[in-house]
Amino acid sequence: MQTLVYLATCKENCSIRKISEATGISSGYLEQLMIPLRRAGLVEADRGVLGGYRLGRTGITCHDVLSASEGDFRPAPCKECQKNGMCKTHQIWSLLQSAVIDFSKEVLIEELAIHLVERGAGGGI
Amino acid sequence: MKISTRGRYGLRLLVDICEHAGDGPIALSVVARRQKLSEKYLQQVALLLTRGGFLNSVKGSGGGYLLKENPEKIKIYEVLDLLEGSITFEAESEGENAIEQVLRLHFYRPLDEQVARAFEGLTLAEVTQAAWFTYMI
Repeated sequence: MQTLVYLATCKENCSIRKISEATGISSGYLEQLMIPLRRAGLVEADRGVLGGYRLGRTGITCHDVLSASEGDFRPAPCKECQKNGMCKTHQIWSLLQSAVIDFSKEVLIEELAIHLVERGAGGGI
Repeated sequence: MKISTRGRYGLRLLVDICEHAGDGPIALSVVARRQKLSEKYLQQVALLLTRGGFLNSVKGSGGGYLLKENPEKIKIYEVLDLLEGSITFEAESEGENAIEQVLRLHFYRPLDEQVARAFEGLTLAEVTQAAWFTYMI
């Protein structure tokens, strides 16, 4: 999430080193984080001197990022109760799950980036 | 956020006790059998729920646990908050950078508010009364 918000504030391609400085996340870990984000089309990368990362598209939501990097939000492992179909607490976890997923679909990375730019802490825009 | 075993067992314990509220105090060994949960673990959870003001413990033979209040008054959000310590996403870390702060204030904090709103008014009574097929999503 931090990486995407920061990238949304950058005019040009952004190196891993620059992202690492801004987020405090180590370069090695960032390289790993980028793999699922690239696969999901949320970031794109160029090689070479002017290479680096940029957002893959506009309109990315927090849900896009979280589901690409962490998988679907599941507050409880519900396999057992789906089997017997009688676990009444299942509805509680469904409610929690949909509240989180629905909200994270509403928040755009670009909106968060605006807050970052307002703090003078963005990457150049 | 993942709900811990304590949170999941605690809710199942309350639902079970609520469903059998007419039977008098309910022994944890009975709940353990019915719900196929470990009795040892239920003891820990029951203690926490008693201290938190959701259960009453009745000692002696025929003893067990009773709901402390009407199930219409027991709010699921408050139970979860007790069992989990907290069910919020917002957490301020030491030496927070500007990006973390933006995420915390503009994503995690309103997310927590949204979750609290979603749970508003959800009581143990509603959870217990729900027909099982209405929430097979």
